[in-house]
Amino acid sequence: MASLARLTYSEEETARLAADLEAILDYVETLGEVNTEGVRPMEHVLPLETPLREDRAVAAMAPDRAVANAPVAKGFAFVVPKVIDGEEEG
Amino acid sequence: MPDSRPLPSVGELRRALDAGELSSVEITEASLERAESIDGSLRAFTGMRSEGARGDAAASDARRVEGKGLSSIDGIPVAIKDNMVMEGEPTTCASRILEGFVSPYTGTAVGKLRAAGAVIVGRTNLDEFAMGSSTEHSCFGATRNPWDLDRAPGGSSGGSAAAVAAGIVPAALGSDTGGSIRQPAAHCGVLGIKPTYGLVSRWGLVAFASSLDQIGVFARDASDAALLLGAIAGHDERDSTSIPEPVPDYRAAQTGDVSDLVIGLPREYFVSDGVDAGVLDAVRAAVAVLEAAGAKVREVSLPHTRYAVATYYLIATAEASSNLARYDGVRYGRRADDPSGLSDMYHRTRSEGFGDEVKRRIMLGTYVLSAGYYDAYYRKAQQVRGLLARDFQGAFRLCDVIATPTCPETAFRLGEKTGDPLAMYLGDIYTVSANLAGIPGVSIPCGQSSGLPVGLQLLGGTLAESTLLRVADAYQRLTDHHEARPTAV
Amino acid sequence: MAYEVVIGLEVHCQLRTDSKLFSPAPVSFGREPNHSVHPICLALPGVLPVLNRRAVELAVCAALATHCKVHTSSVFARKNYFYPDLPKGYQISQYEEPLATGGYIDIPAGGDADEGDGKATKRIGLTRIHMEEDAGKSIHDSEVTGRFATHVDLNRAGVPLLEIVSEPDLRSPAEAAVYLRTLRSILRYIDVSDADMEKGNFRCDANVSLREAGAREFGIRTELKNLNSFRNVELALGSEILRQAEILDDGGSVVQATMAFDPVSRRTRVLRLKENADDYRYFPDPDLIPLVISDADVDRIRDELPELAQARYQRFQDQYGLSEYDARQLTISRELAEFFETAVAAHGVAKTVANWVLRDLREALGERELEDAAVTPEQFAALLRLVDDGKLTPKSARGLVPELVESGGDPEAWMRERGLEALSDTGVIERAVDEVIAAHPDDVDRFRSGEQKVQNFLMGQVMKKTKGKADPAAVRELLTQKLGA
Ligand SMILES: [Mg+2]
Ligand SMILES: [Zn+2]
Repeated sequence: MASLARLTYSEEETARLAADLEAILDYVETLGEVNTEGVRPMEHVLPLETPLREDRAVAAMAPDRAVANAPVAKGFAFVVPKVIDGEEEG
Repeated sequence: MPDSRPLPSVGELRRALDAGELSSVEITEASLERAESIDGSLRAFTGMRSEGARGDAAASDARRVEGKGLSSIDGIPVAIKDNMVMEGEPTTCASRILEGFVSPYTGTAVGKLRAAGAVIVGRTNLDEFAMGSSTEHSCFGATRNPWDLDRAPGGSSGGSAAAVAAGIVPAALGSDTGGSIRQPAAHCGVLGIKPTYGLVSRWGLVAFASSLDQIGVFARDASDAALLLGAIAGHDERDSTSIPEPVPDYRAAQTGDVSDLVIGLPREYFVSDGVDAGVLDAVRAAVAVLEAAGAKVREVSLPHTRYAVATYYLIATAEASSNLARYDGVRYGRRADDPSGLSDMYHRTRSEGFGDEVKRRIMLGTYVLSAGYYDAYYRKAQQVRGLLARDFQGAFRLCDVIATPTCPETAFRLGEKTGDPLAMYLGDIYTVSANLAGIPGVSIPCGQSSGLPVGLQLLGGTLAESTLLRVADAYQRLTDHHEARPTAV
Repeated sequence: MAYEVVIGLEVHCQLRTDSKLFSPAPVSFGREPNHSVHPICLALPGVLPVLNRRAVELAVCAALATHCKVHTSSVFARKNYFYPDLPKGYQISQYEEPLATGGYIDIPAGGDADEGDGKATKRIGLTRIHMEEDAGKSIHDSEVTGRFATHVDLNRAGVPLLEIVSEPDLRSPAEAAVYLRTLRSILRYIDVSDADMEKGNFRCDANVSLREAGAREFGIRTELKNLNSFRNVELALGSEILRQAEILDDGGSVVQATMAFDPVSRRTRVLRLKENADDYRYFPDPDLIPLVISDADVDRIRDELPELAQARYQRFQDQYGLSEYDARQLTISRELAEFFETAVAAHGVAKTVANWVLRDLREALGERELEDAAVTPEQFAALLRLVDDGKLTPKSARGLVPELVESGGDPEAWMRERGLEALSDTGVIERAVDEVIAAHPDDVDRFRSGEQKVQNFLMGQVMKKTKGKADPAAVRELLTQKLGA
């Protein structure tokens, strides 16, 4: 699970986290009491349809601004450690 | 203690500006001075915007002299929670992972404040990424409660609440995902309003839980809140969840009359166990004031209330786990030193960059969305959410406004709950339902319990902000709890 | 052992829009890194998506053109995974409730678009069509990035894609290729996408498995990623089928995996195993409300759909009296069909234009696309008219086609400038015929003793002497006259 979220935990941290999560998950088990048969999941509180934007392009960001916050950039590209073929791809 | 004086309300500053007794530059200097003298102990701010604010104030003065004021908040100093972006300014979310980030764009609410002439003086402290109820989970250290520096101001918008309570600014913006405006407002003795989901654009608000997040306002009183909310509300094409409705004149609706209203008291909220007796007494007394003013009072029921916190934490953490995936050290923010490879870069950047509470929630959210658990947790929670929303619809057929305590107790001591995340979560019992149902809520000071402020929460149906602010204003015309000033700063 | 091949294809094609799917950044191609981005494409803190109307309309067009059911309500979901060119840490896609489902396309049967007689078709089911955003580009080339770095360019991040998933109805690599060509031609016909594989805006993933001939259960499949040309699709599928067959022949079992194809070695290799099935933690994107498309919207888009290949194929036979074969060939792409029709309008004789388009124009184009050629249908018709009028021999005309394709121009002007006018002076032709008869007495004798085909040789000699400018009909007539005498 930690690796899915790209987080690392030491052994000691793992134990504490596991205890915390267990307590929380125990607590949320109470939802099991609720009869939700036939209830539509409410992902949105708004009774709206998604609005549509006209297909008009705006000017692109100045490229130096686009990479201004980058920890590492070269030219106008973001730079990351070498990606090994197939590594973690979606 | 400092010799600086707390700033008065927006309304009073407006009168002084219009009468030529004060300039915006003078008010802004007073705000900056007040911060300078007390924020070392309060820590309400993550950063001041002194130079920019002085320039904006001078420009506002020039407009006023020419008779070209932009709005009734033109020239008024305001603070923004440090999870709202503004071009050329840092946004930290109180997280190490956003170290060094400077936004190249301005969010809608902040942009609207500026377009109305408000002077942004600084960014306020919060629980990292707005995840928390105490403003202790901040890489800048905890904000203190101006009523008692050993206590937490509440959270996550604790910095904004403390800054308004301590009179550094007369008003501030916050964000509320599960009570993060209303709970600190209650604990700091100021007004805090969380509008209907979709009333204020989320464009430029750093997301915690997208279906629950909503920007709102802290102010000293309901008429100030009406001005500020009017300035930031309204449809925005950049937010697909923004409501395409015109914004009413909240100030004009504040007639002082509540005789046409029915106030509902949810049976499930007024239980004695787990709720501070002083809190219940203050809230009951406040309802009695409104009743005496002509409002009818009746009992209503919100039967799924006891499931609200569990529902909230499942949905909020699920959305958060996805929203926080973008902090990967690639395009902005902090990256771990000398990563040995891509995987190491991701793991160390995120493990070092996020604090414990954020990581705990990312883990919980990742878990509840993962294969095999989705239906049992996430989908189930969204169904219960539907039932909670239905509870409110039923209740609002019987009443116009629901009155409850904002929190089960008054401000707790720093460190008191950090070791027990679940106890911290349960403190949100009265506030999370409004976020789940998308309805507006306001917390106003209604007295004290053992010398600490108590908040009265008023909830309304969708887009009932006018009614909520009318009731809050009527109450404040009849009482002076909102005039009480903290003594510790 | 005999195996049946089972192939399903997942195509990603770029929708033809000016701005991205959820961001107003311009869609561009070939620009420098990060020159076509907006805060939304960078997933800066606080940004939000807003859906592009044109992308929705194009997606609905594609769904209608492939006989899918367009759903009134569809939902955008987040597909969560980490990758440097995926800025948000999730891709906005559609998952449980896609835009459209349950369509089909008919492809020429037998797995060969060129040799089908135009009559036999095979119906390939489409499972679903949905919209999603593209990722950015990771640049791994060490010459650009250095040994230890990968570069990330987000110009492409957020570009609107249509994902079209077929049923596992394809039974050979050739059939898969024909399916892809047919699908591409449909998408181009309706102007939904450039569908240009070279530009990466028509990409294909393939699921392949083998099962014993006659078996009902599907075998274990592998997924081939990013097949970026029609040729590679066939080669990769062929090589993967062989690989799986060898494993099965040896009594082994195929392992579920994502594979990559190396066009140099022409082999597939495992990219990663699917043992720990990817957990994308899909959930509805809370930043987007469901997309609602009313029946009225669908009807309006249907009315505006351009004539599809199948309808045009029928019309070409009825209106122009073309053979099924010619009609099929001419409707393979919208550009070719429209070129043909415009040329016929200018020239007048459909059969002649069809012959020249299908033989000479296509030959001159080679691998190039028609829209990259300079020739206009009017110029092409003018060339054919010169032949009809006897001003240009077919041979000379044929020789001009490549140049006309290359640079365009006025064929009549070229003809004059280069002295290619057909010889109409019978005196000159007669002199040439006499000279050839005199120079080849043996051949003349063989012809006279009944060897008919020698006449062709003699004709060729005359044409050579007149540098191809003599009217072949006149030469033949003179030869017959003189040799018969
Ligand atoms: Mg897919
Ligand atoms: Zn896809």
